[in-house]
Amino acid sequence: MPATDNSMIWNFKLLSHNSLDGFGGIGEGMSMQLAKDGRRILWLAHESAPKNFTAVDVTDPKNPKIVARRDLPQSHMRSNSLETVGDMLAVAYQTKEPGLKPAGFELFDISTPEEPKSISFFDCSGPESRGVHQLWFTDGKTIHMSSGAPDFSPSHAKDDQFYRAIDVSNPSHPSEIGRWWLPGQQRGDNEGPLKRHPGGTDSGFRPHNTNVYPERPDRVYMGYLDGGLIVLDIADQAHPKMVARWDYHPPNDGFTHTVVPFFDRDLLVVSDECVRNDGADWPKLVWIVDNRAEDNPTPIATCPMPPVDVFSRRGGRFGAHNLWENLPKEGCYKSDQVVFGTFFNGGLRAFDLGNPYQPKEVAYFVPEVSGAPFGSCQLNDVFIDDRGIVYTVDRFVGGLYCLEMDF
Amino acid sequence: MPGDGFLSDLRAKDPISRLFAGSGTSPFGQPQRRPRGTRIPVSIVTGFLGAGKTTLIRALLDSPEGADTALIINEYGEIGIDNALLRASSDATVLLGNGCLCCLARSDLQETLRTLFADRARGVVPSFRRVIIETSGLADPGPLLQTFASDRALGQEFHLQALVAVIDAPNGVRNLASAPEAREQVALADRVVLTKTDLADPSALLTELAALTAAPVDSAVNGAIDPAYLLEERLDLPARVVPEHDHAHAHSPGIDSFVVLFDRPLKWSAFEQAMAVLTALRGADLLRVKGIVAVEGAKGPVVVHAVQHTAHRPIELQAWPDDDHRSRLVFITRGIGKAEVEALFAAVASIVNPTSA
Repeated sequence: MPATDNSMIWNFKLLSHNSLDGFGGIGEGMSMQLAKDGRRILWLAHESAPKNFTAVDVTDPKNPKIVARRDLPQSHMRSNSLETVGDMLAVAYQTKEPGLKPAGFELFDISTPEEPKSISFFDCSGPESRGVHQLWFTDGKTIHMSSGAPDFSPSHAKDDQFYRAIDVSNPSHPSEIGRWWLPGQQRGDNEGPLKRHPGGTDSGFRPHNTNVYPERPDRVYMGYLDGGLIVLDIADQAHPKMVARWDYHPPNDGFTHTVVPFFDRDLLVVSDECVRNDGADWPKLVWIVDNRAEDNPTPIATCPMPPVDVFSRRGGRFGAHNLWENLPKEGCYKSDQVVFGTFFNGGLRAFDLGNPYQPKEVAYFVPEVSGAPFGSCQLNDVFIDDRGIVYTVDRFVGGLYCLEMDF
Repeated sequence: MPGDGFLSDLRAKDPISRLFAGSGTSPFGQPQRRPRGTRIPVSIVTGFLGAGKTTLIRALLDSPEGADTALIINEYGEIGIDNALLRASSDATVLLGNGCLCCLARSDLQETLRTLFADRARGVVPSFRRVIIETSGLADPGPLLQTFASDRALGQEFHLQALVAVIDAPNGVRNLASAPEAREQVALADRVVLTKTDLADPSALLTELAALTAAPVDSAVNGAIDPAYLLEERLDLPARVVPEHDHAHAHSPGIDSFVVLFDRPLKWSAFEQAMAVLTALRGADLLRVKGIVAVEGAKGPVVVHAVQHTAHRPIELQAWPDDDHRSRLVFITRGIGKAEVEALFAAVASIVNPTSA
């Protein structure tokens, strides 16, 4: 890392930076395809229109090359989330307002990465739906997602998305095989209305990440925004049941984002998402949760954050967001000892979890981003491959950074 | 964790141990790629006034390898001319270019290092990658070493990577003869830098040095030397094993330096207890013990380091540095001989593990 700018870097080595030809605003979809010709293609979902996704050849992480890019069909939508399995790519589409189209997900054949070919589109649009915000797709058969539906009437406009499982084993004809929502989330539920978070802090009750792992194919681990952490039993996929919930807000602002289980250690790593600038919703944290009693997840620590008095003044958001989720796929890095997360202007950070009661920061990367709208980087997501190469992206302009773990 | 019976006991019996477990962990915690783990590496440069420390450090800081260095000039109350050359100020951190910065530790080095660490996290100072401490000429490096030896002090955040002694050819022999501090600096060093060899013939000094230390000796003219020699930690101890010298010779009164090798892996309890006996009975005379130990049940070598009464937390490495998988320990002592140390280890091993004795 050249010492000539104000970047902060520790125990990572910056291998390359690619601002993606002026479209360097990336959302939270990052997925690596191990192409049949031996190349590693990193598929990136853009944060906002006009771009849909960009595919980058990162076979040589010192020299990443854009190999494909697509625009969105409409400006009133975003892709935000995507996953690849083999030569199939699934992209989530969410519209700005309910009732707009296209809202759902699209499947592509990416056997030739330069020429993604649409296979099918699964329509989730409806009068009260914005479509799909996030999807989890790792086994080639089932997409677990946070989505609205034409037949779903939320009791509050912010609660329009819920857990849906879609069978895509026939990619030309995806079909729903299960759904679950927090009782009270739909109009007409027997349970009373969900208690809104006060004032401007109401982010809604809906899932963000919906993770399912081969170690526990009968569980979905969800960050449920203002609903906290929720774990579902999907042994009967058509009839999911809630087995655990941990709701720690209030007192904290809501927006629980990601839940990553470390199965061999009975731990859950849980991230919030910071959604307000200048520290207004501080603290947004990464939590370490004791999961030995599955029906009573118990927080035991949080990962140490950089000094709030400094970072809340650096511009933009400061706080937790995405975690490296130990994607259960070929070519992906796995660790239950180190937690990696992105913290917007706090950059990319890694924490040693040797002692789960005292996570210890071991590495960070906070690039100086030229032209950043809020004056600071807003690192949004992280992907790690099985070579130990760490990829992180900026939410607005910075594009893609390829790093090596130096620890 | 060794030395931490509480955690070992937990692992053995209680379901809470699962929270600490995970793939790849050993009794020594997660094996590390290198001894420093994720801590900030520190090189300490000692040497008498005029030995050429400043020239050496300056050349390093100007090199690409020396970029992003925080230099601390460790003063004990007086400002020497060396500091003026480095533009140090008494109360502020000075940016030196090449991503480097410099500050002065007048009295409390720990405080200075803590402040630097915090300022770096805050982005107030450049994101330095290492620390170099330049000591004042007469400094005894022993207390400095202890500063980095325990987690309670700075051992959690900083790791002593190299203790470098600088000695100049024109005055080296005289300084070694007249000043015990000079001998101590050389004896404790991980490596020695010989300077001003263009001004005087170093052969007599080299003879003196060989008698005093097992550390490698390299020369630098006008500060020019391989940066790795100053910055990187070397584990290839046999390469620097001194020819066994007789401990009675005239130029190192009191200080012994020797290497102990063990062909077979040791039980950790045997190593721990032998060191405990040494520390309890002669800790003050155990100036430095460092090396790598082949421990029964551990995949990689375990790096150990002790300074007088204080032992660093042992670190297991992911792999051996070379094909030689013997335990290798350098002892630098005051009046404790190799034979006594070997006899002690043998005795403890035979009690811990009588069948293999």
